[in-house]
Amino acid sequence: MNVPDIIVMTVLAITIGLAIFGAIRNRKKGCGCGCGGSCSGCGLSENCKDKK
Amino acid sequence: MTLKDLNLSESAEITKVGGTGALRQHFLDMGLIPGSEVTLIKYAPLGDPAELSVHGYELTLRLDDMAKIDIIPKEGSEKAQPSKKAVSATAHPGLGEGGKFHPKGSGNPLPDDTTLTFALVGNQNSGKTTLFNQLTGSNQHVGNFPGVTVDRKDGVIKGHPNTLVTDLPGIYSMSPYSSEEIVSRSFVMDEKPCGIINIVDATNIERNLYLTMQLLEMDIPMVVALNMMDEVRGNGGTIDINALELALGVPVVPISAAKNQGIDELIEHAIHVAHYRETPLKHDFCDESDNGGAVHRCRHAIYHLIEDHAAVAGIPPHFAASKVIEGDKLVIDQLKLDINELETIDHIVLQMETEGGLDRSAAIADMRYSFIFKICRESVKKPGKSKESLRSERMDSILTGKWTAIPFFALIMLLISFLTFNVIGGTLQNLLAAGIDALTETVDAALTRGNVSPILHGLVIDGIFAGVGSVLSFLPIIVTLFFFLSLLEDSGYIARVAFFMDKLLRKVGLSGRSIVPMLIGFGCTVPAVMSTRTLPSERDRKMTILLTPFMSCAAKMPIYAFFVDAFFEGHKALIFAGLYALGIIVSILVALLFRGTLFKGEAVPFVMELPNYRMPSAGNVGRLLWEKAKDFLQRAFTIILLATIVIWLLQGFDFRFNAVSDAKDSMLATVAGFLVPLMKPAGLGDWKICTSLLTGFMAKESVVSTLEVLYVQGIQNALSVKTALSFLVFSLLYTPCVAAIASIKRELGHKWAVGVVLWQCFVAWLFAVIVHLITILF
Repeated sequence: MNVPDIIVMTVLAITIGLAIFGAIRNRKKGCGCGCGGSCSGCGLSENCKDKK
Repeated sequence: MTLKDLNLSESAEITKVGGTGALRQHFLDMGLIPGSEVTLIKYAPLGDPAELSVHGYELTLRLDDMAKIDIIPKEGSEKAQPSKKAVSATAHPGLGEGGKFHPKGSGNPLPDDTTLTFALVGNQNSGKTTLFNQLTGSNQHVGNFPGVTVDRKDGVIKGHPNTLVTDLPGIYSMSPYSSEEIVSRSFVMDEKPCGIINIVDATNIERNLYLTMQLLEMDIPMVVALNMMDEVRGNGGTIDINALELALGVPVVPISAAKNQGIDELIEHAIHVAHYRETPLKHDFCDESDNGGAVHRCRHAIYHLIEDHAAVAGIPPHFAASKVIEGDKLVIDQLKLDINELETIDHIVLQMETEGGLDRSAAIADMRYSFIFKICRESVKKPGKSKESLRSERMDSILTGKWTAIPFFALIMLLISFLTFNVIGGTLQNLLAAGIDALTETVDAALTRGNVSPILHGLVIDGIFAGVGSVLSFLPIIVTLFFFLSLLEDSGYIARVAFFMDKLLRKVGLSGRSIVPMLIGFGCTVPAVMSTRTLPSERDRKMTILLTPFMSCAAKMPIYAFFVDAFFEGHKALIFAGLYALGIIVSILVALLFRGTLFKGEAVPFVMELPNYRMPSAGNVGRLLWEKAKDFLQRAFTIILLATIVIWLLQGFDFRFNAVSDAKDSMLATVAGFLVPLMKPAGLGDWKICTSLLTGFMAKESVVSTLEVLYVQGIQNALSVKTALSFLVFSLLYTPCVAAIASIKRELGHKWAVGVVLWQCFVAWLFAVIVHLITILF
């Protein structure tokens, strides 16, 4: 395995890690209104934010 | 004579309101009460429904419902009543102000660390969400048709961390008519906020104060925010705030939510009344002189009769008394009255009806409107016809004109399609695609130079760049489509579409209001499903939710564009228009099927307010576009990127994780293989096609990225035109994505959600088979 391989694999690992983190975060934060976690936009779901 | 017999531009006085139940109550709440003057403005292009003017605002009603309202014709048409009293010298009552209403520091304050909760309550389209955004600094979406807010939203008032304000869906009265009205009523009754901020549209003050009357009966500290005062003043009107404040017994603050005027004063008063628990000074609006005092005597008799039950049930007694007279079953049940009390109430109400000449519901509505007219005579100088109203009339002469409405609607839709797919969105898409191609080539060259291993090279270029890049290039088209939908919504045009489409939609068992979710469905099914909450009947809601996914959402556009580029280069417009039209035709067929089976019966009456046209706010449109772009990018770089990598890996390896030379031997081919026999009759019996459709369940854009990864040699070299057509039809109609299913589950429950998945897959399969058979024949 040469150095460029290692660099590409590192970049890929970071990208995949961030994508998984983002997907989980969206899923956790996401309210199901389709806003993918950025709830302040449509506000159509009761789970959007600060639901008591 | 009934309202249905009234001629155009003629006015009449209402003598009797027929109908039954919640609908009749809704008529009364909207101001259609005996004694009111009503003017027929126009009929919808197809002759039904009609637009009426009552109490200075425009309302739509169907002819069948108009036939339930008796009238006596009047000479001349309704005109704005000039006030006898322009500006009075009423001293400022100083309600809600320390040092005026009570000495500073006195009163009955809540502990300083209490979180002050506020309910933001008002009529539909009165500017609640605009005010909410001003109060909290948040960016909730604002629209210009009745019922944009379909759920409650919470936020902290800027600079006041110990507060929580809840924006509630707009309601016309505390009689629950639609599910959104139930949300608002339940919040005020059950959660007992520390204060109510009642937003009143000053340009339409009579009808708006009707809800205020009922909120005052709730005995919760309250401030009236008199919104759109800039419009009233700009059109020569004025309101004596001091006189109004004195009459209502709560602080009244003139504001302009859109221009951020008067907001600080409003916050100050709201916090004051909530903190010091200053409840309204007035809860009683009956007058001994009205109708010989029949309502007055009835209301007080019932008040005393139910006082103890109301205290036990936790319902404010004045509110409970009014609701018992109206016959509100929910409140009557909550009071747990015994048989003697119920019988006594019936006798008292009967006596009131006999003496006053009005039935129970009409008598209470009449009591409220009599009070409102009295205080408006004293304190309101009505503006002349506003600039906004005149502009709306001019625009409506074309946009809802008898011969022009439908052609203009078609023209607007065509123009939006043309600008989205060709001029703006299309051009930007080409630019972005060129940028992505250049980046891909640069990375490809760099990887080649670095002698990176072929597997990694393939994953980066053929997997990630091909998959995500192909989806990403559609961002401009999707943002452009949302831009135009947002303009339609913010301008007030969508409400007009509902008006003139009502008759057509009724033929398939729906009401004109169902057009709003359906148009939103062309953008995204999720908010479309949520927006069905504005529909007042369960039947209409369910039916609309089941039809909305057939509208081709923006996420399906990349699929169409991908296939058009590959197979139908010269027929882009035809294929796009055909697919959109097919979605609409299938929804009509399904609606007809539902109407005769699952959802027998008629659509609910069409009672809707037509707001004035307004210039869409750049900030509001910009915020919506940013949110949609952010959402799309987030999905592209999370779920679609991961799906692309997983697909690339699964199609490159077998179950022993050995690299395969032919993708037919891969894990993916085996897994997706079980669908192949099922899809064969539709001409889609290829494991690659089945895989792409499966990934589309997560997000529709994934279909394209999967096809890009699986057909390395180019899809046009692997599939025929016939298969492409069948695939497009299946993609158009099959199950909505998981986010849309989740929203359907939330609205209708998991059984319906599963049903939608299975049903739409079946419909899609059926139509794909039909298309496949037709293409084989030709």
